[in-house]
Amino acid sequence: MNKPIRIALTKGRLEKDTVGLLEKLGFDCTAVREKGRKLILPVPDGNLEVVLAKANDVITYVEHGVCDLGVVGKDTIMEMEGKFYELVDLGFGRCKFALATKKGYDFYSGYGIKTIATKYPNVARRFFEKKGMDTEIIKIEGSVELAPLLELADGIVDIVETGTTLKENGLEVIEDVAPISARLIANTVSLKLRHAEIDGLIKLIEENL
Amino acid sequence: MRNYDLITPEGTKDLLFGECIIRRDIEKTLLDIFKSRGYSEMITPGLEFFDVFNLNSSYFPQENLYKLTDSKGRLLVMRPDSTMPIARVIATRLRDAMLPLKLCYNQTVYRTEPALKGRSDEIVQAGVELIGSQLKIADLEVISTAVEALKAFGMEFSLEIGNIGIFKELVSKLEISDNVKEKIRQNIEAKNFPALNDLLDTLGTNPVTTALKKLPALFGGMEVFDKAEELMPDENIKRLLDELRDVYIDANEICGGDGAITVDLGLVNKTDYYTGLVIKGYLQGHGEEVISGGRYDKLISEFGYDVPAVGFAINVNGVAKVIEKNGVFPALPRTDVLVYAEEGCEVAALKAAQELREQGFIVESALFDDLESARAYAMDKKIAKVVVIDESDEEEQE
Repeated sequence: MNKPIRIALTKGRLEKDTVGLLEKLGFDCTAVREKGRKLILPVPDGNLEVVLAKANDVITYVEHGVCDLGVVGKDTIMEMEGKFYELVDLGFGRCKFALATKKGYDFYSGYGIKTIATKYPNVARRFFEKKGMDTEIIKIEGSVELAPLLELADGIVDIVETGTTLKENGLEVIEDVAPISARLIANTVSLKLRHAEIDGLIKLIEENL
Repeated sequence: MRNYDLITPEGTKDLLFGECIIRRDIEKTLLDIFKSRGYSEMITPGLEFFDVFNLNSSYFPQENLYKLTDSKGRLLVMRPDSTMPIARVIATRLRDAMLPLKLCYNQTVYRTEPALKGRSDEIVQAGVELIGSQLKIADLEVISTAVEALKAFGMEFSLEIGNIGIFKELVSKLEISDNVKEKIRQNIEAKNFPALNDLLDTLGTNPVTTALKKLPALFGGMEVFDKAEELMPDENIKRLLDELRDVYIDANEICGGDGAITVDLGLVNKTDYYTGLVIKGYLQGHGEEVISGGRYDKLISEFGYDVPAVGFAINVNGVAKVIEKNGVFPALPRTDVLVYAEEGCEVAALKAAQELREQGFIVESALFDDLESARAYAMDKKIAKVVVIDESDEEEQE
C-alpha cells in the first residue's frame, strides 16, 4: 500500500467543515473527531492522513511538500501567497475582506495620507496600490476594530462575516476588497506524482459540494 | 551595533563532510553525463550588469535580485540565472561559432527568497544549453539528457513535458490587454480553476476560452492528447499539440519505463523565457521540481543574435536534499595510513608518506609530538594503520 495522502486542515471552523465534508464522502473520521491533543490523525478507509495546523502553516507545509493537500481560507492565501495549486473553491467559510471606517467618516476626502490598521498588511497594501493611493499600513495582531476607535488609524482592512462586531463598535463597511471562502490547495509535485489518487479525491469532493 | 561575525546570512549555509561529498558527487555525476554527450563546460561571472537581466521582457523581478554597484557606480547583480549570461556570450563572443553549440555549466545562482521559509538564496544549478537547432532531434536530445541525469540518482523520478506555445497561441486570439493575459496565465499556472473560470466567463464563451479553461486540467499521460485534441480551435494549435504528442511518445521510449513521462499543457511559468517545449523533472520525496527547462527561441535575439536554443537546469541543492533525506549518505573517504614522525625524522616521514600515496593509499601525516596522541587520533578517525618513522626503521601497528 502506498503511503497515505496527507491533508493539512486549518484548525477551528474550517477543520469542522472539512471533516463534515469528508464524512459526507463516506470517510470514517472518528479519529479526527476524537483527536484529543494529537496533531496527525489517520482516516483509515480513505488512505488519508489529516494534519491539524494554523492557517499560515497549512500553506507552508503544502509548499514544502510535507503535506500533499491543504484546506485553507482564501484570506490566508491572499496574504501569504506562495507556490502551490489552488484547485477547488470548497464553498464553506464564506466571508469577505472589507475596508471599514468609523460611521460617517469620509475616508476618501482630503490630501492627508490615510493610516490603515490590519492583520493582513499584504492584502491592504495591494488593495491601495491598485487604487494608486499611498497609505500608511500598521499591523495589528488582535481586534483591529480598536485602531480607528483609539484614533490610531483612519480605517481598517479586515475579514467581515456578519458585520455585527463592526456595528457594535460604531464602524461600517465602506468598500468590499475581496470575497473569501475555503480552498483546497495541493503541492505542485504531489499533484503530478500522485495524480490518480488526488484526482479521484477531488472528483469526489466536487460531486459532493 | 550588532555583530554578525559568527553566523551566515539567511538562505545560505556551510557544507561539511558528508554534505559536501554529496554536493560534489552530484555535480561530478551531472558534468560527466553532460560531457559524455559532447557538451563543453563554460563558466560565467558571478557578477553581471543588471541590464543583462533587464531586457524588454524582464524575466527576473528586480526585488528578487541581489544588487550592488561597481567602482563606477553602475548597477550590478549577483547572477540569478545562468541561461541569460550564456545567451549574452552566444550573442557576442560565440556569434561566429559553428552551430549547433552544446554548452554545459555548473554554477551558483542567487535570488532573494522570502525570509523564514526554509529556502536557499544560493542555489547550485547544473545544466545544458543546445544552441542553433530547431529540429525535433534537438528537443529529444535534451529530454534524453534530462532522463539520463534523473536516472543517475537511483530514485523514483518523473519527467514532465508541455508546450507553452499552445497557451501563447490561444491567448493571442483574444483581444485583451497584457494585464488580463497575465492574470489568465497566473491562474493557469496556479491551477486556480475557480478564478480562471470567473475571469474567462467575462470574456464570453467561444472555443478559445473553453480551451483555456481546460488547459490546467490537461495533465497526465497519453489520454491528455485525446482530450486536448477536440479543444484546439485551429490547425496551427493542433499542429503544436501533434508535435508534442510525437515528442511524448519518443520520450517514453527513451525513458524505457524506468521513470514516468507525463504531460501538462498548463505549464506556463512566469520566469520562463520559453517559447515551445517546456520540461520539468521531479524526484519522489521532494516538494519542488528539480529540473526546469525548455525551448527559448527568442531569448538570444534579445541580445541581438537571432538563434534558437533549448536547455534545462538541475537544482543541485534540491537533489542533495532528497539524497540526504533518504539517508543515502556516501561513505567519507577514509584515511588508510597515519604516518608518525619521531623528533628529527619529519622529512623522512613526509617522504615515506608520499611514497605510500604513490602506491595509491590515502595517507595523513600525524601532527603530534607524542605517539600516544597520534594513536588516539587514528583510533578516533578509524585509521587502520599507524606507521612510525624513527631513526632506525619503520614500525607498523594496527
